[in-house]
Amino acid sequence: MERRKTILICDDEPALRELIRASMDDGFEFAEASDGIVAMELARELSPDMVILDLMLPRLSGLEVLARLSADEQLKDVPVLVITAWNETREDVLAAGADDFVSKPFDPEALRSAVNRLVAA
Amino acid sequence: MSRSNGRTVSLRDRMLLASIVLAAIVVGVFVATILAVSAARNATKQEARSKNLSVAALRLEKLVLDVENGVRGFALTSDRRFLAPYTDAKAALPDQRKLFRSLATDQPLQATRAKTLDFDIGIYIETFADPVVQFSNRRAAELAYDSEGRRQAASIRNQFAQFIQAENELSRSRERAADSKSRHAIELGVVGLTGSAILILLFAIYLARGIARPVTEAAAGAGQVAAGDLSFRLSQTGPGEVGEFTKSFNEMAERLESTRNELEDQNAQLRESERLKSDLVNTVSHELRTPLSGVMGFTKLLLTREFDPETRRHYLGIVDAQARRLSNLLDDFLDVRRIEEGRFERAQELVDMATLLREEAQLYSQQSPKHEVAVEIDHAPLAVLGNPDRLRQVIGNLISNAIKYSPQGGVVEVSADGGNESVRVEVRDEGMGIPLSQQPQIFTKFFRGDAPASGITGTGLGLAVSRDIVESHGGRIGFTSAEGQGTTFFVELPGANGVKDRQGHDEDQS
Repeated sequence: MERRKTILICDDEPALRELIRASMDDGFEFAEASDGIVAMELARELSPDMVILDLMLPRLSGLEVLARLSADEQLKDVPVLVITAWNETREDVLAAGADDFVSKPFDPEALRSAVNRLVAA
Repeated sequence: MSRSNGRTVSLRDRMLLASIVLAAIVVGVFVATILAVSAARNATKQEARSKNLSVAALRLEKLVLDVENGVRGFALTSDRRFLAPYTDAKAALPDQRKLFRSLATDQPLQATRAKTLDFDIGIYIETFADPVVQFSNRRAAELAYDSEGRRQAASIRNQFAQFIQAENELSRSRERAADSKSRHAIELGVVGLTGSAILILLFAIYLARGIARPVTEAAAGAGQVAAGDLSFRLSQTGPGEVGEFTKSFNEMAERLESTRNELEDQNAQLRESERLKSDLVNTVSHELRTPLSGVMGFTKLLLTREFDPETRRHYLGIVDAQARRLSNLLDDFLDVRRIEEGRFERAQELVDMATLLREEAQLYSQQSPKHEVAVEIDHAPLAVLGNPDRLRQVIGNLISNAIKYSPQGGVVEVSADGGNESVRVEVRDEGMGIPLSQQPQIFTKFFRGDAPASGITGTGLGLAVSRDIVESHGGRIGFTSAEGQGTTFFVELPGANGVKDRQGHDEDQS
């Protein structure tokens, strides 16, 4: 049996973490972080198959997490999908090291297919 | 100096006065010099007159001697040829005597002497010389001459000697007077001219110092002010209008400077307000989109997928909570509009703050498992008059802030005390505290301090709205805080009795 893929969800809003979980297909393992520091700790500990990252995070901002993931030898190839309520353009976010981008409010179906595409790649 | 004492001589009057004094001094010097010159001229004239008189006296004496010589020669020889000097002198005598008399009038003693002399000459000619010449007898003539003629001639010569000596003395003294008066005139002229020149120079210096220099400085100052140096000030030392001018100039610069400073302050405030608004746009964007994502996302899931009833119910609960969060946000923004438009509804109901505090504490306690919300109320009820929803909003804001700004968790302590006169509520946390530099702005709309960088959500409206609500209830709100050592907010509201009094007073005024 194939190993279940792990997704690290970083968002300070419990309701949105639950929404993201509920949007996904069955068969994923989830880890959740409510701030940037915890996100980095969990990423190093778990080496997840992908990261879903809200840019507005307490203690360590999403952009900083993005930069640290890209700089980490072990984690630099982990695909990152960014969720943001800010007005960053797609180009800005992709240039900062993200692999894909959805903005709030997002469509659960769009999120699901984006995640599937990134995890499969 | 200045207008207040009313005794300042105007610049025009000063210049007029100075010019008049200067002109008077110059005219006085000129007149004195002319008088001195004219006195010297008179003295010289008198001296010349004395000399003329002496000459006339000598000539007259010579004529008298000629008469005597002729008469004596004739008397000794009876030869008529010797009468030639007598005849010539006699012809010239009347004119010379007249001239002598006319010249000797200005000095009384000499005039008397001249009159006596002239009289004696007349007597000598008439009573002696003329009769002797008539004698044909030589002996008779000789006798006549020897006795009387010799005596009279001698007397006349004596008188002439006396007269001429006196006149010479007079002439010498007049010469001395003329000399001294000329010297005096020259001295006066030199001193007067030098003095006038110095006075004119002083006047010019006064004009230059009193007017020209301040005006030059003012021109330079105006240039500096025009170039933007509004802190430039003139020294206020000019006389009259110049002093007024420098004073007005300084006042103008003062006003310009304060106006510029005000404008700069306003500009800074506007920039700050712009920055806050721009922050607000981002804040609203984030604060609205997050609950909206929850509402829309779960709704879409519930519509498109099948869930068991329990999960569906759970998700609907989340949708409900996020929708209410949206609604509260909307209320906050509307409250800001109400603050800005100055209208806040004041429902007047009896509210028990003790009950209200317990309910709010319990509500927030459930929402944050990391925090313990402890309530300590000494005695209940704590009645105030007001709008229960609004007061609940204030207490909710304070407890919610206490939780948000102590992200590590901990105890939030809610306490209340008071009676009929007033009620005091305190909400204490053990969180991050408020940096001293941010404390003055804490009640400013949209101000959020370090919250955005710390990832703490919010609109920056809660405290601004709370203060307005508390103040509209006649109370006050405040805090004590130290960075890293937590914050204590307090609210003081008039007790139910106090509010009644205040209401009555308000209605009297409206």
